[in-house]
Amino acid sequence: MPASFLIRWFCQIYALLLYSYPRQFRLQFGGEMQQIFRDRCSYLVRTQGRRRLLSFALRSGLDWLATTVREGSDAISTAAPNTLGHLRSVWKIGRKPSPRGFVAEWAMTILVYLFATTTLVQAYVVPTGSMENTLRIGDHMLVDRLAYADPGAEGRRLLPYRDVERGDIIALLYPEDVRQTYVKRVIGLPGDRIRLVNKQVVRNGRFLVEPYTQHIASWRDPYRDDFPAAPDLYTTPRGRDMLLHHVRNGEVVVPPGSLFVMGDNRENSADSRYWGFVPREYVVGKPLVVYWSFDAPTDELEDWSAKHVLDVTLHIFTKTRWERMLLVPRSQAAEETGGPQ
Amino acid sequence: MKKTPSPRELLPLTPPVFHILLALADEERHGYGIMQDVARQTDDALQLGPGTLYGCLKRMLAAGLVEESEERPDPALDDQRRRYYRMTELGQSVVRAEAQRLANAVHAAKSRRLLDRARPSLAGGKA
Repeated sequence: MPASFLIRWFCQIYALLLYSYPRQFRLQFGGEMQQIFRDRCSYLVRTQGRRRLLSFALRSGLDWLATTVREGSDAISTAAPNTLGHLRSVWKIGRKPSPRGFVAEWAMTILVYLFATTTLVQAYVVPTGSMENTLRIGDHMLVDRLAYADPGAEGRRLLPYRDVERGDIIALLYPEDVRQTYVKRVIGLPGDRIRLVNKQVVRNGRFLVEPYTQHIASWRDPYRDDFPAAPDLYTTPRGRDMLLHHVRNGEVVVPPGSLFVMGDNRENSADSRYWGFVPREYVVGKPLVVYWSFDAPTDELEDWSAKHVLDVTLHIFTKTRWERMLLVPRSQAAEETGGPQ
Repeated sequence: MKKTPSPRELLPLTPPVFHILLALADEERHGYGIMQDVARQTDDALQLGPGTLYGCLKRMLAAGLVEESEERPDPALDDQRRRYYRMTELGQSVVRAEAQRLANAVHAAKSRRLLDRARPSLAGGKA
């Protein structure tokens, strides 16, 4: 993408964002703000490259967020007495106040809400038990979408940032069908060698002690428990590609730009063992907090049927798992012990 | 904000306001010129976003610290017309008073041997 196109695109977005400022402020300064935004963008691209441009755009976004709130509240507090006076005079004449302000206010609320839910956080409900007992079926949580989005060198000063690490719980797009979001734990980073010996993970030749896992099956499945020893029927095309191209000496080697993830419920989890690596750009974010946990079966959590609505209204107090409220899913690095016997 | 405030009442200034006044101390500038000059003054520690810059200018205009000058193109940038801002006399006395206040603070810090290093690190404001 050429830089000029990027600049034009940013400027258009910025011009749209300006509509969130109070009308008076926008009319007075909007044109100039657009001007200096564009000036700064082209200056940065000319002298320092595209990376700085992105961090400037991010900072301008934060600046926008902070100042739009500030100017908005400023406008309300200075306009309030006038509005009252205006209303009084309107009542005297007997006309209704125009609905325009009301509509504009709601439109902005919705815009900010959409921005927040698409860019900052995402609500997610755990539909399956693959991460039990760390996360349970029916846990409703917020996913922090900025957590693993690299803000650039400049942005790092403003926002805490740390790249994906081993043991992190992440929300990701399911590589075989990106419409679905999964939550798994990161086991392998690029370059790591992974295999399983009797349900225990061996990473780079060392056994992992993973206190967060759950083992429910007593029987042994040669593929699931001694991955990647025996080929399996349930692997997807990506899984087969992994077995074909990324197995060396009986170990899977995580390629650059990819992650190897597993569910904590090791015997009941469709994860990287079956569908391969997660491309880094498929990482959505980091589970932030469980805001509500409701005991309901998998299929009802995925769409809100009338039955589910009834179930929730009737049993909201009894089926809500109060003890899981505001639970923060913790990342936890596994301890490594000596080599395999 | 209608009455003209005395310089003392406006102190202490927020860092963005102070640096904007500094930028306008020697000449009138347009918005982008202010932005660049503030970054230069502070070694990029304080980089004003457009919203912060014009939010401050709005308040400074209302308080009578700055005023709008003419609109004209900047030969160094492009042929677009830009609105220039100029410091008023009130702005001048306010920025003097603030600089004096800061100088007193620096003097107090020096007398307590808190300023050994040649160059103090600049505190970035809320940008």
